[in-house]
Amino acid sequence: MHGEYKVPGGKLVVVDLSVHEGRLSQVQVSGDFFLEPAETLGAINAALEGQPVSADEAALARRVQKVLEPPVATFGFDANAVAVAVRRALS
Amino acid sequence: MSRPRWNDLDWQLVHEAPQMPALHMALDQVLTDAVAQGERPPTLRVWEWAGPAVVIGRFQSLRNEVDADAARQHGIDVVRRISGGGAMFIEPGNTITYSLYAPEKMVEGMSFAESYAHLDAWVIEALGALGIKAWYQPLNDIASEIGKIGGAAQTRRGGAVLHHVTMAYDIDAAKMLNVLRVGREKLSDKGTTSADKRVDPLRSQTGLAREAVIDRMIATFRQRHGLRDHALSAQEKAQAEQLVEERFATPEWTGIVP
Repeated sequence: MHGEYKVPGGKLVVVDLSVHEGRLSQVQVSGDFFLEPAETLGAINAALEGQPVSADEAALARRVQKVLEPPVATFGFDANAVAVAVRRALS
Repeated sequence: MSRPRWNDLDWQLVHEAPQMPALHMALDQVLTDAVAQGERPPTLRVWEWAGPAVVIGRFQSLRNEVDADAARQHGIDVVRRISGGGAMFIEPGNTITYSLYAPEKMVEGMSFAESYAHLDAWVIEALGALGIKAWYQPLNDIASEIGKIGGAAQTRRGGAVLHHVTMAYDIDAAKMLNVLRVGREKLSDKGTTSADKRVDPLRSQTGLAREAVIDRMIATFRQRHGLRDHALSAQEKAQAEQLVEERFATPEWTGIVP
């Protein structure tokens, strides 16, 4: 499943995932955004892995925000944008 | 310590003969780290391409962005750089690419958006001197009245900032769209809405050869900030070649976001 969200005035966030027994699986976030340090991308994927498919945008954004606290820095996207892309992939 | 200004730094120019795409990726890492460790003064590197390439951003999905079969058909190398941002389509002679390697202190206290505009202010001036009214379009584009001219990307490593830019000189849009999987909503970002156009803002608007545009850009930088001609050291070249083998030419790195 595939979802995309272009942040207004920002960058594109893409999510590819599958669903296994009602939970997100093999979550891969990608896009033309900026993220420091780069390794944080794996933490974003891990934060989403196993979340119930019923999780709403706010709940998903809260999960992602936990791994984006300083000193992690994002440019062109945020936790909400990732959550929107996940919901789009699921719908 | 206060934020160093452009002219406080001893800028060096590296402009080597054409190099393969994966080596360019490696040089960005080697030279950023060299500046971070104080082994190299702040540097402007102008790239020359030995072959065609698609360069994808650090966080882009390889299969979402690139049509691997089309790239193979056209003999195009697919490489991944260490900075974020979007995919670029390169053929020797069709783009102008450069990197700045600077101490991170130079952009200390700036937002990302401010640092992008700050590090490309000299380019906006250079384009103006060539008769192109250009401006910085947040987040990371250099734009003009006839559309996007280029895109910038940054990453920060160990106390240094890497800031690199690719500008379209004369791009074959049909081939670009054949190789890049560009979504419809992203097309405007690539400077074209039609696959049968050439994207040639610098060529058509300056009437100058690519080399002449580069010479004028370098002259503007030299005049504004000072710039001494320099070369890669043997050690830097060896480190970069090793990184090509170990990282930038490997499927593990290129497919790190599959």
